[in-house]
Amino acid sequence: MFHSKKTLSTRKNHSDCSGCSLCLLVCPVWRQTRDIGLTPHGHAKALQHNAATVDSASAWHCTLCMACEPACPDNIDIIGMILEFRRQQSSPHWLPDLRKKISEETTRQTVKASSSARAHLELPVLLPDASLHAHPDTLARTAGLLDARFCDDDGSDISLALESGADIPEQRLHQFLAPLRPLNKIIVADGLLFHYLKKWIPNLKAISLGEAISSHAAVRRSLRRTDLYIIEPRAYHSDYPRLVKYYDSLRIDAGCMFNLDLQRIAIPATVHSLPQRFGFLAANDEEQTRWLMHGQNITRIVVESLADYSALKKTGDFPVVHLADLPNAEQ
Amino acid sequence: MSRPLFFEKPWSVPCLPWSVPCLPQTNPARWSGQGWHAFAAALSRCDIELRETKSACGIFTTDAGGTAYGLPHGVVIARSAAQISALLKAAQQFHVPVTVRGGGLTTEGESIAFGGVLLDMTGMSRVLSVDAGALTVRTEGGIFWHNLAEELRRYGMDYLSAPLNLTASVGGTLGVGGIDVNSPRLGCSADQALALQVVTPTGEIVECSDTQNTTLFQRVILGYGQFGVITEATLKIRRYTPLRMHYFYYDSLRTAVEDMQLLNQNDASDYSGILTIMDCAVNLLVAFDSDEREAAFRTNWQLRLRGYGEFGFALCMLRRYTLRPWKLREAWYLLQRKRELFPEFRRSEYMRNGLMHDRTVVFSRAVWKFWGSKQMVIPDLATSAEKFVDAVVRGNAVCRKYFPHYTLYCVGIKLRPEHKPHYEMSCIPPDAKNWAYGCEFEPMIEGQVYSRDYFQSFKNEIYDIGLDLGGSYYRFGGMMKGYIRRIFGDEIVNRHLAMKREADPAMILNRDVIF
Repeated sequence: MFHSKKTLSTRKNHSDCSGCSLCLLVCPVWRQTRDIGLTPHGHAKALQHNAATVDSASAWHCTLCMACEPACPDNIDIIGMILEFRRQQSSPHWLPDLRKKISEETTRQTVKASSSARAHLELPVLLPDASLHAHPDTLARTAGLLDARFCDDDGSDISLALESGADIPEQRLHQFLAPLRPLNKIIVADGLLFHYLKKWIPNLKAISLGEAISSHAAVRRSLRRTDLYIIEPRAYHSDYPRLVKYYDSLRIDAGCMFNLDLQRIAIPATVHSLPQRFGFLAANDEEQTRWLMHGQNITRIVVESLADYSALKKTGDFPVVHLADLPNAEQ
Repeated sequence: MSRPLFFEKPWSVPCLPWSVPCLPQTNPARWSGQGWHAFAAALSRCDIELRETKSACGIFTTDAGGTAYGLPHGVVIARSAAQISALLKAAQQFHVPVTVRGGGLTTEGESIAFGGVLLDMTGMSRVLSVDAGALTVRTEGGIFWHNLAEELRRYGMDYLSAPLNLTASVGGTLGVGGIDVNSPRLGCSADQALALQVVTPTGEIVECSDTQNTTLFQRVILGYGQFGVITEATLKIRRYTPLRMHYFYYDSLRTAVEDMQLLNQNDASDYSGILTIMDCAVNLLVAFDSDEREAAFRTNWQLRLRGYGEFGFALCMLRRYTLRPWKLREAWYLLQRKRELFPEFRRSEYMRNGLMHDRTVVFSRAVWKFWGSKQMVIPDLATSAEKFVDAVVRGNAVCRKYFPHYTLYCVGIKLRPEHKPHYEMSCIPPDAKNWAYGCEFEPMIEGQVYSRDYFQSFKNEIYDIGLDLGGSYYRFGGMMKGYIRRIFGDEIVNRHLAMKREADPAMILNRDVIF
């Protein structure tokens, strides 16, 4: 939203943070902890104060929901700042273990990808994320709905490496990107990968999985006015200036409610940082999911991401449906 | 233990060093840290987490103004009134200054700790209860107004008035005023407070209101943080409504201000305020909560306003610059500014059926986008209605002298006669009746580098107008406190100082902001 003053090509770094605190307003970690030290504001100000090597643990609380990026009036590359900060870290104690796991996965994917078939150029290609891969039925329905062919090499290892600050072998990155370059259209389920694919291949026509499915006429018809539609935050914030208008038009068409705050920033359904997802730190989504549904007059929750599906299903307050299952759920 | 230098200032002497006209102000001296370790140990015994790392303290080195810098010895994140009580008791015992910070949106260093403890109130930022029937909310004091709005909207409610920046805190705002474009009708934010929970400088936790512990309430509201830490507040709220917006454009500041005052005095609009791009391109914003109010305005008042519509103003400017071709650069600046600004106020996701939704988000984000910067210098003048045009015109002349581009933001504040005791020694001018008026003068820094002395001279010249007119200021603390005795007079200041000394024997709370 704020990108007109300073275009994407002139993105700034931590030294330009003016300390307006607008990032706090949208930060789920701040909502949970009320600790400014764990927010982009806190990171940037600490870095301005040359404190990079002093306090490393705080950067690992960030869930990379990317809500802070469109909220920042100074157009600071906040995600870049946090990932670079992580890349430089060698602690906490669980980090070497985590990076080893990711490195093994990268090696495995390198071998696997070299033998996998290339996608047909004329079909849209779907890059599933790890959670979609873990649900083959939903993956098949999604691919069928979108008339898309899905890649075995989904780049999930690269996404993890990015998030953990681990090195991505050049060969592996090339192997992943090369088949994607000539594609007409690519649908990306992993919001972080979506963010970086647009940087790595600027001309690539990439759209998020949520936008792709919700554009489908049968899905749109199946949305109800009492649905709470949970937008996957990473992809949404990554392409915010365009998607804020897309979802506003969806709101007008379908009449459903969204997990958007007053700034039209997506409220994440979960507060899962990387070490929490891997079990190194305890996770607690209760307050976040409670806030998401607080005061909302809804009868059903519709999710774009299967990770959100699992978290919201646990609350048991309302039926939860994945977007791709929506047409079937209505029948 | 030797007494801090702070006590040795000759408060009772009428002719004080800081009453010398136009003295450039400086950061207060950093507290030396005497007794810090014993103090830290005392906090530890009370299970109060004190952060002393470089990264923890570095977060709070400056405020929104970005011209004053200071470092605390340690940071405490506010978690409860009991914790703050224990902190202040220890601070009194060990004579450690405590600087309270909400959103940190001061511009004169008021929320910067020059040593001692920085108390980060954003740690206490939850809504405690909403009573939609009684139209009240009880909230913790460190909450940002925007977070309060988010919570209230889930009930179909909204706060009454708050500064247009999203990240001012409720507690901080109640301590200084809080001006919105509906203040001409609803008053300042501080007037919306019905009751407060306050931790006094000596650590007592006290509930106060207009009927309970009245004196404390009067001193804490608009008290610049001198008499207590606001830990909870009960505020009036209202039903949320989208806005019907109207914009009128003027090529004369004087005319625009007169028209704004005409609307205010006749209760002709729900919202009104002036924002300038240049002094020949002045926007009067007028808005309404209901169709009925808008219709009444159209019938009774719209034709009396002397401003143009967008097209009419474009013609006016075309004529102006056709006759003054040597000012084409000025015309180009105006055009560019219009191209940047106007779409921001018409974003499709905030407009539905011609109504603006979430106007605080629209205005506030525009404020940060187009007026925010690492340095913000915003001197202001507050006067009675009668003196306001003069103040604005004279302040504009000062701006013109110092900066190529600047913005003026003018708004009225409806006063509540029963709150007169709250207004003493505050931004509300003593001679204001029914309405006070405020004008902020904000230079566009635009990447230029100005010395702090240059900024200070600019601020002093603006503030001298206030002295001349017998007005007041919104930002008279911190680096501008040299004006306090000059504008309010020794009698009032000495009386408040005596109250402060009684309430805060070691003078630890928000030291150097006012006293």
